[in-house]
Amino acid sequence: MGEHKYTGPIAGIFQKMADIIGKDVYYVNFLILMFFTLFEVAAVFFETVPGTDIQITRGAVWAVLIVVGIIKGYGIAAFFMHLKGDPFIYTRTALFPVLFVALMLWGIGLSNPAGIDQLPAWCTPNWDYSYVTE
Amino acid sequence: MSGSLHDVKNDVWMRAVIVSVILLAVGGAAYGAFAVGVGSVKHNDWDAAHEDLENAELEWNTANETGTLAEQEAASDAWDEAHEADIDAHLSYLTWVTAGKTILVMMIIYAAFYGISGFYNSIQPEDDHDDHHHGDDHEEHHGSASPILMATGILLFMMGFPGFVTTCKSLLGLDYQAEMGDFTLSMIGSAILIVGIGNWWNEDLKGHHEQIATSHPFQGQDIRKAGMWIFLISEMMVFASFFSSYLRMRTGWCTEWAVDAGKCDVVDTVTASDLLRHEVGTLLPGAINTFALIISSYTIVLALKTAKDVNWEPSKNALMAKLFPTRKKTVRNYLIITLALGSLFIVLKLVEWSHLIAEGFTIDTQAGSIFYVATGAHGLHVFIGLLVMLFMIFKADVLEDGYDEHNGQGIEYFGLYWHFVDLAWVAIFPAFYLY
Repeated sequence: MGEHKYTGPIAGIFQKMADIIGKDVYYVNFLILMFFTLFEVAAVFFETVPGTDIQITRGAVWAVLIVVGIIKGYGIAAFFMHLKGDPFIYTRTALFPVLFVALMLWGIGLSNPAGIDQLPAWCTPNWDYSYVTE
Repeated sequence: MSGSLHDVKNDVWMRAVIVSVILLAVGGAAYGAFAVGVGSVKHNDWDAAHEDLENAELEWNTANETGTLAEQEAASDAWDEAHEADIDAHLSYLTWVTAGKTILVMMIIYAAFYGISGFYNSIQPEDDHDDHHHGDDHEEHHGSASPILMATGILLFMMGFPGFVTTCKSLLGLDYQAEMGDFTLSMIGSAILIVGIGNWWNEDLKGHHEQIATSHPFQGQDIRKAGMWIFLISEMMVFASFFSSYLRMRTGWCTEWAVDAGKCDVVDTVTASDLLRHEVGTLLPGAINTFALIISSYTIVLALKTAKDVNWEPSKNALMAKLFPTRKKTVRNYLIITLALGSLFIVLKLVEWSHLIAEGFTIDTQAGSIFYVATGAHGLHVFIGLLVMLFMIFKADVLEDGYDEHNGQGIEYFGLYWHFVDLAWVAIFPAFYLY
């Protein structure tokens, strides 16, 4: 660990930063994760950009949460979980359920904007939802 | 995994029992200091704040009956202030009491995990600890009954769990009917689980050769690593089910966000995020937890890096050299730091839950149900990880060379699980706390 030099468009940037500060990639990844978490919390907490009148819109918060989530997810999976240095079979293994996860999020999560009290009939075998609709 | 403990002596296992006693003492001290000591002070403050609130209410009533409009407004403002102070005092009290009780319960479970497994192993004849190969690096792995034992134990425990809970409530004097059949089933499951854990400890400490997969697609890879990744796939699906349920419900709610976006007019659902994200004080536990998990991910990486570093040398910084004097102790201490950060996560999570429940955000609402189930399942994963980490600390301490380049895979594979838990939190934190 630590001896391996990372290459590639994104991992290469991490490696370059590590070389510049004279530490390993894990340390750089740790700093990046900490920074983006702070950024994520700040984006939600502040209604305007601190020191300005610029409104932080709902769309902007969404964008920040998604982009930061992707960056943090990449940092953890690629470096801390070693997917970047390990044989590709592990990346394939990790990506295998993504299709099912996407199907669940789209097919179930976003299929009914009215929420669980209006699930399709095949999904509600005589269930009484009065406890959630009252 | 290879190991270097050639003969697992009874005194090694007795160390586990001694550590469990120390853990119990720590739990008792934390309970005494936080829940009883500071908790009593905070309860007095809360009583005082409540009394102020009652006085403010009386003055307001009097002002409404006999006072001028200005006096009525002043009395109303005073009541608002007293009400705020009452809530703050209540939450402050809950913080300390919940922290104290959580640490006590965690330490009892840690101690039971350590003590019972240690005791189970210490009462076995020493010959049973040692097989023909003396646990050296060349020992072949003969398969293990531990996973099946542990799975069976968990199965039986969960089958009897509802009855176990009501029986416990009945034993505590609450108005519940004891269900001894289910309770017994759970207890048998617990006993089998403990035997499984104890067996696994015994086998893992003796060490064995790493098994290599011989067929496609993991040919040439460590079987345990491949197994861990397959396990993580199933975990991904578990958390995906929480997220899809949450999305389904969330898209049907009229929340603050939805009103702001012009999707609906009247807020019908208050989410945990609505209660947490507006103030630093309420957002802080979740934010600290996020940082705690990220730091703990890094410390476990450092433990693995140190274990595998054959040229490891102590730091030139005097303090660091004292904290991390040898490779063996450095690995152990990084694992202890990880354990402490994970424990902090659990304590803060329960403190936060206590505040949410006090504010009326309970599990019997849609928003509360999905929030507590999803964050609770994640918290359970963290807690199970902490129990495994306890064993790793024990192993790092009692093996002659601790974790090194030969047996460091144990940390790597556990690290995969721990990073996954961190990764899940990366999704849970914005979804449930920020949005």
